[in-house]
Amino acid sequence: MKMKKRVLMGLAVISMVAVLTSCGKKPQAEIDAVNAAIEAAKTAEAATYLPAEFAALQDSLNAVMTAITAKESKMFKNFKTEVAKLAEVTTLANTVTANVAAKKEEVKAEVANMMTSIKTVIDENATLIPKLPRGKEGAAVIEQIKADVATVDAAVAEAQGLFDKGSFMDAMNKIKAAKEKADGLNAEVKEVLTKARIRF
Amino acid sequence: MLKLRKFLPKQGSDSNFWHRKSRNPRAGPGIFLAKTLMRLKKKYKRIFISAAIVTTATVAGFVLASLIPEPPEAQVTRARIALSEAMSNNAHTYSKNLYREAKSFYDSAMISWQRENERFIWFRDYSRTEEFAGLSEQKARQASRISRNNVTDLNILIGQKLEKLNHIAGQIDLRFDGYPLSSEIWTRISKGRMLLKESEVAYKKGDFALAREKVAASELLLVDSYEEANEHLSEYFESFPKWKQWVDRTIRDSRQNQSYAIIIDKYSRKCLVYLGGVKKYEYDVELGKNWVGDKKQRGDKATPEGMYRVVKKFGTGRTKYHKALLIDYPNDADKAEFRKAVADGTLPRSARIGSLIEIHGEGGRGYNWTEGCMSLINEEMDLVYRIAGEGTPVTIVGSTVSLDKLHE
Repeated sequence: MKMKKRVLMGLAVISMVAVLTSCGKKPQAEIDAVNAAIEAAKTAEAATYLPAEFAALQDSLNAVMTAITAKESKMFKNFKTEVAKLAEVTTLANTVTANVAAKKEEVKAEVANMMTSIKTVIDENATLIPKLPRGKEGAAVIEQIKADVATVDAAVAEAQGLFDKGSFMDAMNKIKAAKEKADGLNAEVKEVLTKARIRF
Repeated sequence: MLKLRKFLPKQGSDSNFWHRKSRNPRAGPGIFLAKTLMRLKKKYKRIFISAAIVTTATVAGFVLASLIPEPPEAQVTRARIALSEAMSNNAHTYSKNLYREAKSFYDSAMISWQRENERFIWFRDYSRTEEFAGLSEQKARQASRISRNNVTDLNILIGQKLEKLNHIAGQIDLRFDGYPLSSEIWTRISKGRMLLKESEVAYKKGDFALAREKVAASELLLVDSYEEANEHLSEYFESFPKWKQWVDRTIRDSRQNQSYAIIIDKYSRKCLVYLGGVKKYEYDVELGKNWVGDKKQRGDKATPEGMYRVVKKFGTGRTKYHKALLIDYPNDADKAEFRKAVADGTLPRSARIGSLIEIHGEGGRGYNWTEGCMSLINEEMDLVYRIAGEGTPVTIVGSTVSLDKLHE
């Protein structure tokens, strides 16, 4: 009778140990934190401004999630390593978010500079074009110049719209092309004026 | 056991010996030994039972553990790495559908794995997870390969398109600089050029998707405008056989008479001076603003086309354009044509025929600015004025070179 009790006791202890050791809880709070940090990086447009870093971040999260799910598949679970890794990914996500903000500011400043510089060229063109010889009115060259002026103006307006919307990268692409065009136009107008011996 | 029995009291002397306690502590050494051995026996029995239980439990544990299905960590990890590589190869941009499929299979694998984890440990089945992970890996690798190929192909394709469009843009400059195309065509050309620049910016940055989009839009505008402008030019050059006839006759006459002759090539904006049938001088000339086509009426700012002669010379002080050679426009053929145009309603009845067409100085402005005259820079006008006399032939044509030989 006594022996039977002891055997039962032993089995109970083994079961308890098994139950207790298999009770390592999934680190949901840490997972939520890392997801929130990655979401913040995504909202900050990390995919646009720092695509490689953002991809690495996502891969890191996927790796940890695989490890966590693998642990969950086991009888004895211990998420210590994964919790540490989740913390690392959260820190990394926060760093990426901060870097995105810096990069965005950098691009924004560059676009703003280009906008100022292109506006200077456009203003100069606006002063120079009326100086073109009157005989040129209606002629082919003035038609070309007028068309180019309109195209540059439209591109700058579009770039400004993108800038105001916060799409600095798209604005940058647009304004770069517009700047080249405006510079080309400026050179062309100056050449015509020089040839026509008109001071500017 | 048999050996122990000899220490025991004989059977029958105390038949209940095994089951009762000794009442007499001084029962003798044999009895004491027997009791000790009995205690030992009981202890061994317990150890044996415990060991048996532990062994059974361990074996059962191992058996049960071996029955737990192996989680598909390796397959999922392989899929994850393949996806990550696909991302680095920009498959999300250049092999969108495959990448999306790979990602979707990966998500399915993870969901399926997590779902299986919720089941009782021995009842888990990871075959679906493995299947999804395998498909994800396969699609991701495929997406990577296709993306790499697409990037290479796009790099070449866009490079070629940019080259082609830059060539077209160059041809437009070459063929139509100063050519009076409609403002609508110029607007399209200008937009096409801007898109071409945007495409170049994106291409240099390695953003081939954006470059492709821009280059396609640019191509549509530039190629169409170029074709339209070329059609316009071809129409104008339909008169080339007539022009060639005039030019050939002028050169032949110059050769036969060993005299000077002036040929104005409107398209190339050149003033060619011939002596004895040989070209002696070639000067840049500026024309009427609306120089394409023949002069139809007064005020149309067109430079006439035909075979004319110098009828009057105006030296310095007698013209506001340095020096001038007046030609006999309108000649009989021009007058007949004008009358016909008025008669058939091509020109309004109020239209007047043009006159006072000259070769004069004050040129060199770099564009076509006159009301229909031909303008040279003063130094060149001095020479032309000196060699030309009244009666010197002045032949004005659209071009001295056929359209297919232009810009060769």
